[in-house]
Amino acid sequence: MEQKWSYLVEEYRAMLYRIAFSNMKNRADAEDAVQEAFLRYMKDEKPIQNKEHEKAWLIRTTIHICLDILKSGWYQKTVPWNESFESAAKNIYLPYQVRDDQTLEAVLQLPTHYRNPIYLFYYEDYSIREIAEILNEKEGTIKTRLRRGREEVKKLLTEGRP
Amino acid sequence: MGIQEVQGNSKAQTYQKKKNAGRGEGFQESLLENLKYREQTGIDTQTEAKKKTESVGVGRIGMAAGIRVNAAAMQEALQAVEVRHMSYEESDHVKIAVTEGYTLKGKREEGADDRVYVEAKYDDGRLEAYQVEIDRVSENTQQEIERFALETVREA
Repeated sequence: MEQKWSYLVEEYRAMLYRIAFSNMKNRADAEDAVQEAFLRYMKDEKPIQNKEHEKAWLIRTTIHICLDILKSGWYQKTVPWNESFESAAKNIYLPYQVRDDQTLEAVLQLPTHYRNPIYLFYYEDYSIREIAEILNEKEGTIKTRLRRGREEVKKLLTEGRP
Repeated sequence: MGIQEVQGNSKAQTYQKKKNAGRGEGFQESLLENLKYREQTGIDTQTEAKKKTESVGVGRIGMAAGIRVNAAAMQEALQAVEVRHMSYEESDHVKIAVTEGYTLKGKREEGADDRVYVEAKYDDGRLEAYQVEIDRVSENTQQEIERFALETVREA
């Protein structure tokens, strides 16, 4: 692998895996989605303006790949590998974060339009402006989704349903 | 008939006004008495009330929806500082409070072990930063930023 690509994989693999996992909820599919995102990036070789643009492109593409997989007919007919959430989510936390599986599990149960902004804001520490850029939405839309998504998480934690 | 009723009402209103005017005078008298009493005893009731509310943690509701920053705490251990945009990787301790709508990042200040830098990010887009003097924080503090700063020191 060229040095350029190995740098790219080293730099973003862990973060993209966490984002893919938040959508796919299992290790194998998350890894597949990340690999596909890297392959698309390498194949396309789009003119990337800067590092931030590169990062945003990779995150956006990973999310789109995850959503495509989830929507696909074959995926909906498959039965997920029986993996405990605790072991699957092991790699999603950063070492200095306080582990809270209950809340993370509730976040991952949210519909996509709430889940991705909430995951990127809280677990990956992106600003509202950055999330708006990654997801191609207005900042106001992201703020609303963060607020409503938070209410949904509360409901899931207290009543067990959104 | 209708006109008489209106007139009746207006009479009642006049009576009410007179009655209130009398009460007003009484109020003024008692106010003056109280003022005299305060001047004699030197009690500042406003300061007394402020002290009481702050001691039970009902001070100024801080700059945040999720975190109450007590006015007394701001004067003592907490100091609002410029936001440094610190990343999770640079932090010693991170708290993610999804249901409360904020995240906290803490780091012990280099060269000043008794100080902790705390950055708060809210889901309405606000960013705030504080410097906490650990020596001035009570172990039993109920203030969220101070508690988090103590945790940061333990984690670092």
